[in-house]
Amino acid sequence: MIAVLGLVVGVVAGLLVRPEVPAVVEPYLPIAVVAALDAVFGGLRAMLDGIFDDKVFVVSFLSNVVVAALIVFLGDKLGVGAQLSTGVVVVLGIRIFSNAAAIRRHVFRA
Amino acid sequence: MSNQEEQPENRLRKELPDEVSASAAEPEQAPAGSGEQQLTGRQRLVKGLWPLRVTRAQLIVALLLFGLGFGLAVQVASNSDSDSALRGARQEDLVRILDELDSRTQRLEDEKQGLEKQRSELQSSSDQAAEARKQTAEKEKQLGILAGTVAAQGPGITMTIEDTKGTVKADMLLDAIQELRAAGAEAIQVNGVRVVASSYFTDSEKSVSVDGNKINAPYRFQIIGKPQDLEPALNIPGGVVQTLEKEQATVTVERSSKIVVDALRQAKQPDYARSSSQ
Repeated sequence: MIAVLGLVVGVVAGLLVRPEVPAVVEPYLPIAVVAALDAVFGGLRAMLDGIFDDKVFVVSFLSNVVVAALIVFLGDKLGVGAQLSTGVVVVLGIRIFSNAAAIRRHVFRA
Repeated sequence: MSNQEEQPENRLRKELPDEVSASAAEPEQAPAGSGEQQLTGRQRLVKGLWPLRVTRAQLIVALLLFGLGFGLAVQVASNSDSDSALRGARQEDLVRILDELDSRTQRLEDEKQGLEKQRSELQSSSDQAAEARKQTAEKEKQLGILAGTVAAQGPGITMTIEDTKGTVKADMLLDAIQELRAAGAEAIQVNGVRVVASSYFTDSEKSVSVDGNKINAPYRFQIIGKPQDLEPALNIPGGVVQTLEKEQATVTVERSSKIVVDALRQAKQPDYARSSSQ
């Protein structure tokens, strides 16, 4: 419940404050957000499976974000940033979909 | 990227009891998980949502989710700002966009040049049309003076023939007109009748008709032309003036720098003749 509240408060704060995104972080923010979303869906699925562990969640959340940002960074350095970030988004999207399917099976039994 | 997939999760869960078997949290959660194995996912969701437990884990997760929500909102907000749409773009994307803009500029420039050329062509052709119109109007005036359809003014002479005895005949007036034409008269009127190429003089009793209009003495000619040519032409020995004076008529010729010939004649559409020029 507190987690959900945290998400809501974060969205509201982001909309209200509207901070300027630093130029250094700018290319990585969208990918990091998608990676974090993937972690959240994974965590939700694990909770529904009854195997949720907060430590695992924290580690996977942070590592997802860091690895995604790292891939984009590396891609930018190698000159294939656009393609790599597309690839990352595709992979994370597939994972989000499969997790969402599992969650749906739990919640709706369908 | 390890995530809450079942295998890494299970592996980690198996590892955890080994490493911290005496942990307070793990045994507590593990029996709970196994004891609620019959619980459905939906029940677990409700159970996780409703009783508001404030634990460190919950707080950490809330913090992470706060960060996620914040980042999400910031990204959406900065993405929906149209003016900063290019700010997050990659270098190669920017180069591509710049290239596209360049080629688009080139295309538009070409188009502009074509249109400007077209415009100048149209302008010059309309200039030519205006010029042609002007020349046509000019010509119309010149021809109008010859045909007697427009009034004319300019230097010239006035000749008045006093005929108290009624001896002046049409042929004498015609001689005078011919003499004046030979001397370069450009526009002539006699007592308010314009004399043109087709004019004719006839005798009617005691007076003269010009083009069917009866005119009475004194005959007053107004002639536009070069006065220095016209006056001598009338005064040459044996010329118009002497002939008329022999017939007891009095002729006075006056030069003037401004003669107005304002008698007009209707332009007549020829019945048969048509212009052969385009």
